[in-house]
Amino acid sequence: MTHLHIPDGVLPAWLWVSGFVVMSLALAVSLFRLRGMDMKKKIPLLGTLSAAMLVAMTLEIVPIAYHVNLSVIAGILLGPSLGFVAAFIANLMLAFMGHGGITVIGLNTLLLGSEAVLGHIFFYLLMKRLPVFWRSGTAAVLALMTSTVLLIGIVAASNLDPGLFGESGEHAHGHLGRVSVPLFATMALSLGFVGWLIESAITGAVVKFISQVKPDLLAHALHGKAGNGATTGGAGD
Amino acid sequence: MIDVARIDFWAASGSGRFHRASAIAKVLFVLLVVAAAVTAVSPYPLACAYVLMLVAATAAGLPVLRMAALSLYAIVFVFLYGLSLRGGPWVYALLFFKATTPAFAVLTLIVSTPFPRLFAVLSAALPEIIAAGLLMTYRTFFVLFDMMGNFISAIRLRGGFSPGSLVKNSANISKGIGMLFVRAAEQSTRIYAVMAVRGYSGRMASTDVEKMRKDDWLPLGMGLVILSIAIVWK
Repeated sequence: MTHLHIPDGVLPAWLWVSGFVVMSLALAVSLFRLRGMDMKKKIPLLGTLSAAMLVAMTLEIVPIAYHVNLSVIAGILLGPSLGFVAAFIANLMLAFMGHGGITVIGLNTLLLGSEAVLGHIFFYLLMKRLPVFWRSGTAAVLALMTSTVLLIGIVAASNLDPGLFGESGEHAHGHLGRVSVPLFATMALSLGFVGWLIESAITGAVVKFISQVKPDLLAHALHGKAGNGATTGGAGD
Repeated sequence: MIDVARIDFWAASGSGRFHRASAIAKVLFVLLVVAAAVTAVSPYPLACAYVLMLVAATAAGLPVLRMAALSLYAIVFVFLYGLSLRGGPWVYALLFFKATTPAFAVLTLIVSTPFPRLFAVLSAALPEIIAAGLLMTYRTFFVLFDMMGNFISAIRLRGGFSPGSLVKNSANISKGIGMLFVRAAEQSTRIYAVMAVRGYSGRMASTDVEKMRKDDWLPLGMGLVILSIAIVWK
């Protein structure tokens, strides 16, 4: 559901500033957790998988003009810390392409990053006896549901600021009401439901494909131990 | 749909006033327009700003029609957000321009600034791993993009895409994306090996920020005018 990249100027300043603060903390924690790794090897992996995410976003699924995010796959392959960094990089590049605002990079990264982190966690925790397709698909659905709820939470939080858009404006005063959170939630969840199904089906199919073609990429996730560090990168992250 | 390859072509091939301005001046221009969008309480100053940027972009030879179309992407979220507000046309107009005006400013930046120049500005403030990751993402993107393009051509030639068949299209795209991730991981191992041979020590991104130039008057002047209009026009 993070396809709804929040643009600039819509949310109150305190909210996007808070988003930057929380994102900076999350990024600092991620980088701290990565400090023991061989970054010379991680940077190429981080770059290539972030690029793969961006390439996948350019693919349109006809006939509904939907494009995938693949943040859950990035989380599964890279691990939560590197996955969060990849989400930040993808968001930064998206913001510089007009997809999502500059001021809300923090909030948008928290949304996309939460999918990567939660996708990885759910993939690890969920019913390990399940086939890879269902395991990764379920992890994707749960992660996307959570990020949609987070998005609704962000919109609901924007109601806390009475000065939204500045109510001192002559015309604005009296015209700007508060956001109807139930209405927004209904629309976001309705549209999101279609997105979750498509994204989770594709996530399941992609992870299944990877597990058949190059299983060492998922070795850390499937067996709970480090795979080939040179190629997987997600191990122990 | 995000057309990074086309944006990169526009950024690298132009020679107008915006292309000649320094990256730091254009980043400041974007920040000034974003500040205007945040402070504006009326759609009129933002509409003026949008028109002003359209005129400047046209005069500078930028692809304005494509930029205007791309700036509309921002309204997807605004549409849902606007429907949830109990407001009238005024609110919708304000929301529309709050979303599209900064988006157009960002597009003005990226269609006139090659990404490595932009990354050099960002690298001054970002940790090394992120700065290097950005540059590596940019470099690898085009390799993977070509790879994916070839895959899609092959699928189309073999009748793998059927208009109206969501399941079949999704299944084929999934295989392509799976292959993309596998190739990306292999590519990263190869890139690392090549870079290690060339003496890679963990630093990659340039942090040399360009100096200001005489052509910077356009983005800086326009940014200041737009912010002033937004502050004054209450």
